[in-house]
Amino acid sequence: MIRSSKFWVGLTILSVFIFSSFGFALFYDSDVRQVQLLYDDDKNLIGGAPFEPSLMFPLGTDPLGYDISQKVLQGAKFTLLAVIAIGVFRVLFSFIVAIPFAFYLPEKIRKGLDQLLSSFYFIPLTIIAVFILSPIIREQLSAEGEEFFLYTFTERIGLEVIILTLLVVPLLGSMIGNMMASVLKEEFIEGARLLGASRWRVFTKHVIPHMLPKLVIVWCQQCVQVLIIFTHLGYFKLFFGGTDIDFNPMMADPPKSLSNEWSGLVGNYYIQIHANPYIALGPIIMFGIAIYAFQLIGEGFQDHLQTRHYKKEKRDRMSGTQNPVNEQRMSFDFVHKRGA
Amino acid sequence: MRIIKKLFMQLFLTIISIILISGLPELIMNKNVSMYFQKIKVVLFDVIHLNEMTYMNQGKQRLFLDDIWSPYLYSLTILFGALAIAFCMAQLLTWCTLIMPMFIRRAVKNILTFLESLPDLLVFALVQMAIVLIFKKTGILVSNVASLGAEDRIYIVPIVCLMILPFVYFYKMMILLSEEELGKSYVEMSLAKGMRRIYVLIVHVTRNTSEGIFHFSKSVLWFMISNLLLVEVIFNIHGITHYMYSDFRPEMLAACLILLVIPFFLLYALFEWTIIRLSRRGELI
Repeated sequence: MIRSSKFWVGLTILSVFIFSSFGFALFYDSDVRQVQLLYDDDKNLIGGAPFEPSLMFPLGTDPLGYDISQKVLQGAKFTLLAVIAIGVFRVLFSFIVAIPFAFYLPEKIRKGLDQLLSSFYFIPLTIIAVFILSPIIREQLSAEGEEFFLYTFTERIGLEVIILTLLVVPLLGSMIGNMMASVLKEEFIEGARLLGASRWRVFTKHVIPHMLPKLVIVWCQQCVQVLIIFTHLGYFKLFFGGTDIDFNPMMADPPKSLSNEWSGLVGNYYIQIHANPYIALGPIIMFGIAIYAFQLIGEGFQDHLQTRHYKKEKRDRMSGTQNPVNEQRMSFDFVHKRGA
Repeated sequence: MRIIKKLFMQLFLTIISIILISGLPELIMNKNVSMYFQKIKVVLFDVIHLNEMTYMNQGKQRLFLDDIWSPYLYSLTILFGALAIAFCMAQLLTWCTLIMPMFIRRAVKNILTFLESLPDLLVFALVQMAIVLIFKKTGILVSNVASLGAEDRIYIVPIVCLMILPFVYFYKMMILLSEEELGKSYVEMSLAKGMRRIYVLIVHVTRNTSEGIFHFSKSVLWFMISNLLLVEVIFNIHGITHYMYSDFRPEMLAACLILLVIPFFLLYALFEWTIIRLSRRGELI
């Protein structure tokens, strides 16, 4: 059982977002209310859209009178599930790539490959993502003046997930590979090999139990990164699932998101930053809360890993860290039998 | 000599992967692999003959290299400035924090976790709003919120925007690494010998954490280059990524990214070389 309160707080925030979003779709059919004019009890006009944040509209309304908090609620499930899925795919895929990297390559080649892959540190992800994703996500105008997407809705989502996953695999794969290689260097692995364990047994009984907790932390970091990329893509009007662009030469509507997912809200409302700051800030703050939640999960889990062997924490006065774990003893525990 | 060869190899690979990636939009648009290779050939040709590459500016064909130098230097100034300021401030504050008592340190770490999770777009928005607010309240314009054209240069706002989050990342990383280092026995030993705590911190701990920070700074830089695009578009700054974004051709993407990468690559190569030299000297002694 995980005792860290940080972990549970983060998990609660995320699940509240996702479940309330599904509840909203289930019970209210995701019907975003629109209030353009507001009257008091005596039928006097007391205001018109956009409304400031108040008890009635927690995040205010946009100029058309749509309630932003309900839009956010409607979009939460798309954004958060997409983020979680991309995070899982990234870690899973990198883990699969890392297996041959750690098991079969000799030390020298691995070091060299690691050096070469670190050249990916100089290729900024947002810029590449903006360039690659815009033909997929933006609606195009054909020669006959018809608006069309190059790909169908599912293809667009699939491609976006694949591209956002593949772009980090070289870096993440080499990182996980190095983590795995350092596990393989431990003494107990040598012991297991001497006792006749096959590669498969070493992998399932020793490597996986040691790697899993670390992968959870990596997953949290990746989710944070994906959320940040979503805000960037939102600013560049590349919305998850497709951007509906109005090519009408007269009075074109601004680009619209097909659903109310959050990067669409960020992209649509950022332009209001000076006139009605709260409209623009609302969705971005939601992103901030989601990032904080993932961050809390990661940190809470790390605390849990460091302290799970202690009944009571003792703090070193000088360094502020917990007393160092007795590595030798830990290495001979059966890690797959101890509660993660 | 071997190091130099390795670095060249790495630079070569970086450039190749940039070129390969920059052709991808073409592949996605035409769904045709042979078009992709044609495009890559074109990009490769343009990158090799960079001095003949042209682009469209206000309906006229112009030479790319003639126009790019000044925005390029401008972008580099902003990036380097932000990186240097973030690093120095984080280092100073780390020293200050580590001589504080325990409960303050823990509070600082919790605040940093919170600050770390601010999305960068929110930071930019808040900076923009703060400047407008200060102007409204006091009438003092701290800096222009947006540059008005290619000739109008603003420095303070983009540097502040780019600096805030890297500063937080550096600060947190430095505190974590230093605390780990402070738990080691040589620190206890030197304190027992009667050295001042601040001296041990600045001279020994900082030196030993510097390598970890150096590797960490790569990912900070990676994050900053992405942010540069955002800052340049939001504040209408005519830097190199602005050119890249408004042109939107694969050739332009490849050329600009390569130009942007080279100085940082050289800088990091230099640092790495120094670190290897220093650590070798340590081994010999």
